[in-house]
Amino acid sequence: MQPIIEMKNIVKIYDNGVVANNGVNFVVNKGEIHALVGENGAGKSTLMKILYGIEQPTDGEIILNGESVTFKSSLDAIDHKIGMVHQNFMLVPSFTVASNVVLGSEPLKKGLIDREKVLQVTQELSDQFGLFVQPDAIVDSINVGQRQRVEILKTLYRKAEILILDEPTAVLTPQETQDLFKAIRTLVQQGKTVIFITHKLREVKEISDRVTVMRHGKMIGTVDTKDVTREQMANMMVGREVFLNITKPEMKRAEKRMEIKNISFISDTGRPVLRDVSFNLYAGEILGIAGVEGNGQTELVEVLTGLKKSAGGSVIVKDEEILDHSPRDIRQKGIAHIPEDRLTNGVAVRASIEENLIVDRYFRAPYKKGFMLDYKLVDSKSNELIKQFGILTPNAKLPVGSLSGGNMQKVIVAREFSSNPYVLIASQPTRGIDVGATEFIREELVKIRTSGCAILLVSADLGEVMSLSDRIVTLYEGKITGVFPKAAEVSEEELGLYMLGIKQQTYEEMEKFL
Amino acid sequence: MKSFFKSKGFREFLRIVLALVIGLTLGFIITLFVSEDPINAYKSLLLGPLTRLNRIGDWLEESLTLILLGLTICIVFNASQWYIGVEGQMILGALASGCVALYVPLPPFPRILLAFLAAMIVGALWGLIPALLKAYYNANELVTSLMLNTVALKLFEYVLKNFIMHEKSRSVSSDYIGKEFRLGTFIPDWPFLHNIRELWMKQTNVTVMVYVVIAAVIVVYYLLYKTPFGYELRTVGLNAKFARYGGINVNKTIILSIMVSGIFAGLAGVHITLAIHNRLISNMTSGLGFEGINIAILAGNNPLGVPIAGLLYGYLRAGADVMERSSDVSRELVYVIQAMVLLLVTAERLLPVVKTRIAEHQEETGNGSAGHVKQIEEKGDTHVN
Repeated sequence: MQPIIEMKNIVKIYDNGVVANNGVNFVVNKGEIHALVGENGAGKSTLMKILYGIEQPTDGEIILNGESVTFKSSLDAIDHKIGMVHQNFMLVPSFTVASNVVLGSEPLKKGLIDREKVLQVTQELSDQFGLFVQPDAIVDSINVGQRQRVEILKTLYRKAEILILDEPTAVLTPQETQDLFKAIRTLVQQGKTVIFITHKLREVKEISDRVTVMRHGKMIGTVDTKDVTREQMANMMVGREVFLNITKPEMKRAEKRMEIKNISFISDTGRPVLRDVSFNLYAGEILGIAGVEGNGQTELVEVLTGLKKSAGGSVIVKDEEILDHSPRDIRQKGIAHIPEDRLTNGVAVRASIEENLIVDRYFRAPYKKGFMLDYKLVDSKSNELIKQFGILTPNAKLPVGSLSGGNMQKVIVAREFSSNPYVLIASQPTRGIDVGATEFIREELVKIRTSGCAILLVSADLGEVMSLSDRIVTLYEGKITGVFPKAAEVSEEELGLYMLGIKQQTYEEMEKFL
Repeated sequence: MKSFFKSKGFREFLRIVLALVIGLTLGFIITLFVSEDPINAYKSLLLGPLTRLNRIGDWLEESLTLILLGLTICIVFNASQWYIGVEGQMILGALASGCVALYVPLPPFPRILLAFLAAMIVGALWGLIPALLKAYYNANELVTSLMLNTVALKLFEYVLKNFIMHEKSRSVSSDYIGKEFRLGTFIPDWPFLHNIRELWMKQTNVTVMVYVVIAAVIVVYYLLYKTPFGYELRTVGLNAKFARYGGINVNKTIILSIMVSGIFAGLAGVHITLAIHNRLISNMTSGLGFEGINIAILAGNNPLGVPIAGLLYGYLRAGADVMERSSDVSRELVYVIQAMVLLLVTAERLLPVVKTRIAEHQEETGNGSAGHVKQIEEKGDTHVN
């Protein structure tokens, strides 16, 4: 086998200092199906964006068919017969399938688009590669699986020899996945090379010839798929990061503070995202949710905090039902929330720091005085919080958007912690922020847990979940697959098996620990 | 003093002045081409409004309307609602206040007070329709409010023609409102002001509305920046998802913001009825509703900037009247200048001098927000900024 792509020592450091790829070597052979796996944030998308010319590497070399190449933009990559199908489809919904396929390089006749030819070439491509579509259908009216085929046809129309598929099965039903796999095999039979990004190990086993595993921006290894078990791959994916220097006082678990029973959630597209999730939160304990992203964690948090309406279940706090109440009602019960998506939910970037700090309390005394909001008090309280939480800023009047990611997160943490929460729901509390802020936030979490707060911690960083939590629950495809009452006694390999759905505890096993 | 020149307000003011100067210069270049006597034409545009007392009056009267409309838009724009139903709210406010002033058998003071109240309530209620449609059916407020303008204007014409206008009347209008039920002049009746007062009363329609407008500016400023409601409104405007996450009732805030803004459109209706036209007459809004948008944009959606923007804008319009009457240049030229100024104000990059200073300021305090988007995508070790 002859390598078609060699990426050598690829380093990518973003302007803000995030190291996404750190000396990655990645080799793909001609005519193979190569799976690229790793947790979210492992750097696999960045690597592929570099290969497709969307991002430029800070350092390193790309060798294509034995020649060194540099891509200034994805147009260069397309010229070199590389095609990419993104997770979010880039189609014009009001155009026909065929128009989308040829968009940008339409066949012409006397300077006008040759409509018959458009339909014809699309039909030919579709037949040749077994990607069945109806060329004259409007994209808006076809389903997700068909849209994906249109995307693949688009790259083939541009003569792609190497196809990068970014998590192509994330949006597909099992049946559509099988159809896609069939199509991928046809492509390879006809001499194409396919790079397949995923974190579903079952699919890796099923479709790929070789697999490369990435973790924390580094390449862990490339192996022949037939030589590894899913368990071994899971270990390569989730190996532990070295940082654990958190001192955690012994847990003093006290009364039950939140009782979650049989919560379900169905997405807009009708997919069940949460299925009968039940567990309890106790004062003085951190319960961690471990799981690969996209297995229902986001929705769980949003349902618990009132941002999304559930499809049934119950959440009891202080003997009262709070499921599907308004966010204000839920907050009034003492439930604080560090949101996963800082820039969307966590702050209003153009509002000042102080205005971001009061969103959960501006409407009550002492902040509200008669008809007015007491901005003097807001100012002094904000300055206290800025000092207490070490937020780096000259004053409280600056827009939050002018702060670094870590300081922005500290603003959120300052607000949520200072509300003296009864229950805290922390989602990805340290994602994408600097080491200093990360450690600070982790220490604060442990501090309020020790002083008696009940905490639900959701994080894609397994190291974080394992070192902070007292008890761990694993979530896979919207269901709880395991509960580990003593977080300190479980290994990451073991957790990995439950997170990836390879092992599962029975309800009877889990019941008394949930 | 140094901090004043560095303040955001001053920079915005500078931006507007710069835009105005450039706009006027371009306007003058055009005048050179279209006019036989460009110098005089431009002189009448620039100085015309100040040459006679009645022209000063015209300028101030129109400016008052513009300021009220600017405030209306300022409120909804701060909530990021692209609501442009001001014209409709104003004309129905005019109708309400006119009807009260014409027909309700009350002594002058309570009658005028009731006219104000009626106009304010009607203005707010008319805003309720697109607000509810937006909040509960996600109907685009831009479209609904625009269409409701036509509905309101036609409703006004219908009521005017069928119930108010006399058959014998030669114009489509009501009777004049009795002198004692109109708004009085803004100059108090003190002995030493007597002569000036007489003069202004005779030549202008500048009324106590001046004080109402000043109060309105202060009220809107406090409402937006000093009250919990203003906080909710601005937070929803800056990031509705954040507002919802924080517990703010976003729908309620949207509805209230449009209704509250309607109060000021209603006041503009009172002004054109009880101070300017002194009766209900066809086309009495003369399309001013949309100018409120320009005022708000010029003022950077800051209520304290609205009076300045309103007076500047009103001055240009008044100058245009004078120019049209006293030269061979038509008032359309002024629309060109207005458009230029607006373009320059909204196209922020065209005035980099002022903007770079803001950028520098952000450099000092940390990264801009652009970098954070990437940070979310990829997680890893980061440096302390």
